[in-house]
Amino acid sequence: MAERVGPLATLAPWLSLMGRRRGRLLGGAALMALAIAAALGLLALSGWFITATGLAGIALAAGGALTLDVYVPGGGIRAFALTRTVARYLERLYNHDTVLRLLADLRGRMFAILAGLDAATLAHRRASDWLNRLTTDIDTLDSLFLRLLAPAGVALVAILGLGTFLALWFPAVGLAVVGLLGGAWLWLTLGQARLGLAASRRRVAELERLRGVAVEGLQGLAELEAYGTLATQRRRLTAIEARLQADQRRLGLAAALGSALAGLAVGLAWLATFWLGALAWQAGALSGPVMVMMPLAVLALNEAVAALPLAFTQAGATLAAAQRLNALRDARRAASSAAPARLPEGPLAVDLAGISLRYPGALAPVFEDFSLHLAAGERLGLHGASGAGKSSLAALLTGQLVPDAGAVRLADTSLARLTPDSLTARVACLTQLTELFDDSLAANLRLADPDADEARLWSVLATVELADWAEGLSRELETRVGEGGRRLSGGQARRLALARLLLRDPGLVILDEPFAGLDPALAERIAGRLDRWLAGRSVLYLVHGREGETSPPGVSRWQALATPSRRELGVPARNLSG
Amino acid sequence: MTARAWLARLTRRERGRLGLAVVCGLAAGALTLAQLSLLAWLVAALLVEGRPLADLAPAFAGLAALIMVRALAQWGQETAGLAASLRLRRRARAELLDHLARLGPVGLTGHHSASLANRLVDQVEALDGYVARFLPQRNLALALPLLVVVVVAWLDWLAALFLLLSAPLIPLFMALVGMGAQRLNQQQFDAVARLSRHFIDRVRGIATLQLFGRTADATREVQAVADDYRRRSLRTLRLAFLSSAVLEFFAAVAIAVVAIYVGFGLLGYITFGPADELTLFSGLLVLLFAPEFFQPLRSLAQHYHDRAAALGAAEGMVALLDETPRRPVGAVAAPDAAGVLAELEAVTVVHPERGRVLGPLDLVLARGEILALSGPSGAGKSTLLQLLAGFVAPESGKRRLARDASFAWMDQRPLLIHGSLADNLRLAAPEADAAALHRALSAVGLGELIATLPAGLETRLGERGAGLSGGQAQRLALARIFLSRAELVLLDEPTASMDAASEAAVLEALGALAAEGRTLVIASHQSAPLAIADRHLRLRDGLLAEVDHG
Repeated sequence: MAERVGPLATLAPWLSLMGRRRGRLLGGAALMALAIAAALGLLALSGWFITATGLAGIALAAGGALTLDVYVPGGGIRAFALTRTVARYLERLYNHDTVLRLLADLRGRMFAILAGLDAATLAHRRASDWLNRLTTDIDTLDSLFLRLLAPAGVALVAILGLGTFLALWFPAVGLAVVGLLGGAWLWLTLGQARLGLAASRRRVAELERLRGVAVEGLQGLAELEAYGTLATQRRRLTAIEARLQADQRRLGLAAALGSALAGLAVGLAWLATFWLGALAWQAGALSGPVMVMMPLAVLALNEAVAALPLAFTQAGATLAAAQRLNALRDARRAASSAAPARLPEGPLAVDLAGISLRYPGALAPVFEDFSLHLAAGERLGLHGASGAGKSSLAALLTGQLVPDAGAVRLADTSLARLTPDSLTARVACLTQLTELFDDSLAANLRLADPDADEARLWSVLATVELADWAEGLSRELETRVGEGGRRLSGGQARRLALARLLLRDPGLVILDEPFAGLDPALAERIAGRLDRWLAGRSVLYLVHGREGETSPPGVSRWQALATPSRRELGVPARNLSG
Repeated sequence: MTARAWLARLTRRERGRLGLAVVCGLAAGALTLAQLSLLAWLVAALLVEGRPLADLAPAFAGLAALIMVRALAQWGQETAGLAASLRLRRRARAELLDHLARLGPVGLTGHHSASLANRLVDQVEALDGYVARFLPQRNLALALPLLVVVVVAWLDWLAALFLLLSAPLIPLFMALVGMGAQRLNQQQFDAVARLSRHFIDRVRGIATLQLFGRTADATREVQAVADDYRRRSLRTLRLAFLSSAVLEFFAAVAIAVVAIYVGFGLLGYITFGPADELTLFSGLLVLLFAPEFFQPLRSLAQHYHDRAAALGAAEGMVALLDETPRRPVGAVAAPDAAGVLAELEAVTVVHPERGRVLGPLDLVLARGEILALSGPSGAGKSTLLQLLAGFVAPESGKRRLARDASFAWMDQRPLLIHGSLADNLRLAAPEADAAALHRALSAVGLGELIATLPAGLETRLGERGAGLSGGQAQRLALARIFLSRAELVLLDEPTASMDAASEAAVLEALGALAAEGRTLVIASHQSAPLAIADRHLRLRDGLLAEVDHG
């Protein structure tokens, strides 16, 4: 949050996203307004009717004649009663449909934004609670329409509409209603939002902190207990909870104040209407039934404003959610300005010169003035301890990280000049962390090539010795792998990721710990088959370098990634590999 | 313990505040009825009795006063409910925290810490609406309609009958609304969870999607899944909303029926029953009271989903509270022989699902020795450490520990809190001064690194130690052990997934610890840590075998 942006500017991108469904939103708001108008009409007309019949009854009893048409108002009352119910039902259904459509839009847009983030941003926000918050933020935003904009808009229309209607009978009454309730509307929406802004903004962060400290305490329970500092940890937790509750109390009190004020404003408005109406009646400007009808109509407005204070007191949470999502959008990779270049067919040469890279918040840089050369078709093995920068190097070459200084060139073309699509088409990378999706085996494989036929899928599975296993499954290629591939063993998941890579036709292959978690005999056999696929491509092996590991085939040159003395200064524990 | 019983026990302690909320709610309801009565009386006084407006000014002033007092009562209801909810949530959270501490590190191994944190934070928060709004409203929904019917019956028993006719339907409404809300809540909850899972699954793998150039397809897919969810959930919503529509319908129809009945009664068209006694005052009042009969029920229906959410959350929490700790209770005996720090005699440890995981075995741990434990994963190394620490109770046999023997613990994932380096070190010794912190850091070979940091000990660590490498995090945890006075140091895989340089640094630090006269028990499947041990025991299927040092 470098600069303070106005609430409108914060919400602008999301409002414009909603604007695409303008028709539906207006339709939903119109249904809401119809339901409120019907409720208002029902009470007002009933009051008018009873007063009129009461007065007519007195006149009849005094021997007068009946001049009152009872059937039109009777029909009107029934019509209002039915309209209110039907409009309310349709409104809820229609608006939920709209909100769910908005949700789909928001998710899609959010995902597109995330897909544009670079690895550094993604890496330090990897934790699943951050993702959960992201979904919560989207849910918070999708209620922007249903809880804030629509009710406030409809309430304002109802106040102005009723004021105009009453002014037709007696202008002073209309003015009083618009003046009193218009002012109340301003307070109940903008005033309440301002009252709760700071606390409701903070609340999400406080919940987050509480969750964070709770996780720390739970994961470190053994140490805390050993050192007898459980109580200290508990005090930290309680202190955060106390801050959270102080804000919740503040918000609750503000909302209670708002609800009471809403009731008070509507009460005083109908009382003023009644008094002014009675004055007009006394002066002969209004009939008795109309005098009764007016305050009852105002009384029914309660339904339109009652829910506003609670929603608007929490408006800060919506703003904060929008702000976080906006910040994410701003972190998007800058598009290259130069004319896009294309990578040639065949093996690619790699050149890194004077690379510096430091993760935000890390104690020491990963690379400082780092250079590396790989000739086209060469197979270079890089070994280094965990955290020496192997995964960062892979991310630099795949364009997921941009160095702070220095240049990355593939086949003499700067990476900055390549579009993401042309880069991914020619560079394939097996990341250290096996990432599988909660989908079928086939779908996970086809990530690499959507058009691959079944025969090709079986053939790459055979290469990694998974074909026999897959054939034994009742659903074969349609077997789902579970969340993050959890239904597979670590070794199977690794081999599936390797098989996925084999469906591609890259000029540069980066293999980050390709055989991690595989038993040596199996790894040797797979390595042998891999050799053929690697022919005619440049290859970069990234390995831990400990003895006893399967050596990838055909490495022509080995190089240590970093000098231990500098590495000692420290590198981030969790970079790309999570 | 059922979720309902637990919630009932918690709410019982908030009876006072919840009672206050109900009283305020009743007062607000009664004041509303009083306002409407005064309104009807004023109308009759003006229109029927023809009294001048000036004479009635005090009544108008009284009405204004009623409106203000009613606003106050409404404020009271909400704030009392808020106070009850805040206190109840604090207590529920404290109860969970106490229980988690009782379960201890071993009791928590079956749970994901994120899901436990979710219970501690989000599920406790889910009780809010139920306590603050639903519970008071449930009482009001019974009392206020009753009050309305009594007053209406006094004015016109036939009109009261109209309202009462719908009264037997009220439990039906409630059931309908309740069922609707519950079904809505469950199905919606499941569907939302599925949707979120899909979204999170794709977001987690976003780097892979980028590598394969498939982000555009995935975006379309995310949108399509959300849209499919919309179509399916609308089918449920159509039914679920119907139940509250029924309530709305009856409320609207009751007003219409009462209005028409009163109107025709006032005209003298209705010749039976009490209709001919209706006056403008009583007729208007009956009309104004009719919506108030349904209003409390409509409010309750709005809060019904709070109840479903609270019950769902309570079930999760009660399941946790029902877990029983498996750790030793009572005082621990001291070993007989001098120079012995800890002693295990014919101990066995039984896991509720996996059966016996350790023992029977005997172990005597002398003061100052370094004991290494090796063995394949699953052989019981960690269990033996947990047993020594007292995190798990032996099923049979004896565990003896020297009096005042404090212990320190370090495993593969050291605790790193979001705070400064100093905060992290002081977890072991809250009152340690800066010099002591520096000494401890030097002992584990982190002194030079800290000296290069501009903020020194006040350097802040990111979430879960972001900014530190795995080896550095491990050494920070070791520095804590140096700060502590712990005599017995229990280490579970202290050098796992560490590069050779870091491993050497850690082993050197361990040697320094032993030189201070502390007793070390190191469980590891790697060879290097075993080399610094005085004694090496190998575990196989929960049984011990001594290994000769060659």
